[in-house]
This record gives sequence, C-alpha cells and structure tokens, in this order.
Amino acid sequence: MFPWAIRTLATLNRYFAIFRLLVKIGLMQQMAYRSHFFMMIAGKIIRIGLLFLFFQAVFLRVDRIGQWSYEQVLLLFATFHIIDYLMSVTFHRNLAFQFPMRVRNGELDSRMLFPINLLFLVSFERIDLIDFFSFLPSLAFLGYVLYRLDFAFTLTQAVTYAALLVNALAFLYAIVLMIATVSFWTTQSQGLARIFDSLLKVGRYPLDIFGEFLKTVLIYILPLVLIAHLPSQALLQALSPRSVVFAFGATAIFLIASVGFWQVGLRNYLSASS
Amino acid sequence: MAKYWLIIKLVWIEKMTYRVNFCLEIVSSVVSSVILVFLWLAIYRSSSSTAIGGYSVADMITYVLVGGVINNFLLTAAGNTEMSQSIRDGTLSSVLLKPLSPHGLWLFRDIGDKSFLFLMGLIGYAAVFMFFGGYLLLPASLAHFLVFLCSVASAGLLQFLLFEALSLLAFWIENTAGINFTMRVVMEVLGGAIIPLSLFPPFLEKVFLLLPFPFLVYFPMRIYLGKIDLTAIALELGKEAAWIAGLGALNLAIWKKGIREYVSMGD
Repeated sequence: MFPWAIRTLATLNRYFAIFRLLVKIGLMQQMAYRSHFFMMIAGKIIRIGLLFLFFQAVFLRVDRIGQWSYEQVLLLFATFHIIDYLMSVTFHRNLAFQFPMRVRNGELDSRMLFPINLLFLVSFERIDLIDFFSFLPSLAFLGYVLYRLDFAFTLTQAVTYAALLVNALAFLYAIVLMIATVSFWTTQSQGLARIFDSLLKVGRYPLDIFGEFLKTVLIYILPLVLIAHLPSQALLQALSPRSVVFAFGATAIFLIASVGFWQVGLRNYLSASS
Repeated sequence: MAKYWLIIKLVWIEKMTYRVNFCLEIVSSVVSSVILVFLWLAIYRSSSSTAIGGYSVADMITYVLVGGVINNFLLTAAGNTEMSQSIRDGTLSSVLLKPLSPHGLWLFRDIGDKSFLFLMGLIGYAAVFMFFGGYLLLPASLAHFLVFLCSVASAGLLQFLLFEALSLLAFWIENTAGINFTMRVVMEVLGGAIIPLSLFPPFLEKVFLLLPFPFLVYFPMRIYLGKIDLTAIALELGKEAAWIAGLGALNLAIWKKGIREYVSMGD
C-alpha cells in the first residue's frame, strides 16, 4: 500500500543487520587480546571512580560550585560520561582517528566501492566494545545519582532528558564529522581531534565556572552546553520550551553544515593509493 | 657516553619531524589545565574561607599550572610503548645485537622524549602563565627551587621505571596497552596531578602516600610551594631513592627472567 514505506523499512533493516555484524566483528577483534580487553575495562572504570573521588574531595571543602550542589554536579558528571562513552563506542575513534588514516593511506578507495553508504561505513566501522562495557557502570552511576536526587522529576522531564541525550550525540557527531572532513585536505586531523577532546571536558563542569564571555561562547558559538548541561538542567527543573527548541535547532544547523562540508570534502578527495 | 647523547639528539630530530601534531598535543594539554584553573577559581569563589586544605587560591592555581607542565611531560611521554612493541614483534633482537645496553637505550630515548616535551610544554604554557600571572607564585626560595628541579628529574626517572616494569611484562603478555592505560589513569590522580593529595579524606591520603605515585607531581609541587621544610624533603627524597633503587632491581630481575623466554620469529 505504501511502497516507499516498505522500501525505507527494508533499507533500515539492512543497515541494522550490518550494524549488528560490525558489533560482532568488533567484539571478535577486541577479544583476541583478552587480558588487554579486561585491563582496559578495569582502567576505564577506575578512571570514573577516581574522578568521582575528585568531586568528593572538592565537596568535602565547599558545598556548592557556582549554583550547583554536590548531587547536581554528580548528575552533570554522570550525564557527560554517558554521552562520552556512547560516542566512543560508536563513531568517535572511527571518524576522528581511523578516517584520517584511511584518507592518508588510500584505504578509503576500497570502502567507496562497497554497496552501502560511505558515511555510515566510516562512522561505525569499528564498534568499540571495550567502551561499551565501561559504559554500563556509568549507567549504574547515573542510577545512584538519581537515587540521591530522590527521583524528583516528572515523566515529561525524564523524556526531555532522554531526548536531549540523543540530541547531544547528534551534535557531537556533527562536530567530529567536521573535524574528520578536514583531513580530506590536510590528510591529518588527529591533532585537531585531540584539542577537541580536551575542550569537550568543559562539558562535565558547571557552566558557572566560566566568565560571561566564555559562557556566551559555550552557549551560542560552540554550544558545548548541549552535551550534558542542558540535559541535566532538564532533569533538575523543567526547561523552558525555548531552550529545548534552541537545543534541537542548534544541532540541526550543525548536522546540516557538517554533512554539507563532508560532501564538499568527498568531492575533493584525491586518492592517495597508486 | 657520546652514544647516549646521540640517542637523545636522534629523539629530538624525530620529534621535530612531527612538530605540528605534537604542538597540537601540547595545546590540548594546556586547554585541560586552563579548564582546571577555571574550576578552581569557581570553587574558591564558592568557598567561605580563603584557603582550602591549606592551599590559598594562588597556591592552587600555581599547583595546577606548574604541576600541569610536569604532568604534560610525564604523561604525554608515558608508556615506553616501543619497549613492549619490540619484545612483541621481535625487533628487540636487533637491539640486543647493538653494542649498548637495551636499558640504557630506552632510558636515554625516554630522557630525550621527556626533555623535549618539558621544554616545549614550558613554551606552550608560557602564554597561560602570563594570562594567570596575577595568581602565579614564585618558588618558596632559591634552595626550594633547586631541590624542586632535582625532584622533577627524579620524578621522570621514577615514572620511566614504573612503565618499564609494565612494558617488560610483554615477555609474557601479548598486549600491554591495557595495563599501561590503567597505570596512566592511576598515576594522574594518585600522583596529585589533578588535585593536591591533602584534599582527599585523611584515610585515603595516608594510603596514597604509601605508594610511589605522589613523588611524580605532588611532592615536587609541595617543594615548589614551600609546603614542606628542608629536613622533611631530605627524608622524602630518601624514600624516593629507595623506590627508584627497588624498581630498578625489580626491572632487572624481570628482564633476566623474560629474556630467557624471549622468542623472535625471523622471516
């Protein structure tokens, strides 16, 4: 009855199957070094634990950072790490580090011949299962923080929170894609990616720590507030519809710009292989 | 000795080849420190007292920035990945044939790495030092400064030995990157690179001080800020020397055992 709907469903189904296959391959590759696999997971869990300890040490001395209480800072922190892990599991390393390498050594050529969308392939080629297993404890940590906050939020707030998390991932995807695309011209963008990784850490602290000028930059120019700040606020107090529209609007603009930039870059791609 | 100088020189030349990426890495480390400075300034604004855990705001900003330079060369250079790599892929064989000690080779490559990163990091941090100049403190005294430099140098050596121990495990474990990563994470926090250890709950602080990590950043910074008097410094330096000697002996023992198991496949 709706041939286009059936076609779309079939395509989605196919990409989902490919994604599942990529997860399986990722697991097989990473389990090849078992001790490494478990040590990395242990290391990542210890890192979260130690950062938690850091905030605890700080809050032994003060009861607020700016307007944010201990529980609120922990919520911000948990939210940030959930997004950060979801990004590492999926597209982050693929785009930021693998992709420039493939442009440099010409491996991108063979990938262009695959009968699937190139952007999909280069974004999700290696699913990082190490980070997936490290992600689970951060979910548990979020649960703990919500418990400490007495689950004091409405269903609407929870739904907004979840939607803003998806939005945050889409926003980060746009930024990382832009950085990766630069490598079509420079064949190297890992340095840029590293700077972005450090900048990203801004997202795990309350925005109040910065002066007015930096705040404006972080809201309107490079809206890192979209990552953890806005979602956390949505859970703590109902966000104004304006903020929600701003969040989705900004992400849409970044996504459109990044995909456009990617297409321009792709047209400029001169294969490096012989 | 001349050959070891040559090793350091070669490392510097190598580093200069990839200068763009390397400069960007320093920028990223500077960015991390600046974020921490903003965080601390906000914490002090929120605090009712002027000192937190015995640290005034100027103490803390100095701690974060000068500690940042130390951390930059300790952490960015961290890993000695080529050591475990060469054991794994068999290139260790060609190292063994050379008329120099493999430990010496790796140590001096590490010194080359660290000295380069330290100097470049210092240049990178210069702009930040100027920006936050109002908060930055000079060393407590000339004597403190000189001892501080010694403690930074021995921190570099201690860090090398810690990672050497892990890298040598490559004789038995195929991939040591996981252990290395965990060590870096632990080192950063327990070494006091993010926060002075005295701010942790007293029980944890006591436990951390039993480990070698505080000698990496926390101890040098306490000397710099004059938070420890010269007699206590002598005692701590003695402890650090003991750690260095102990780890050195341990690494030699691991090496002796491992080299007997070492197999290199030719092609």
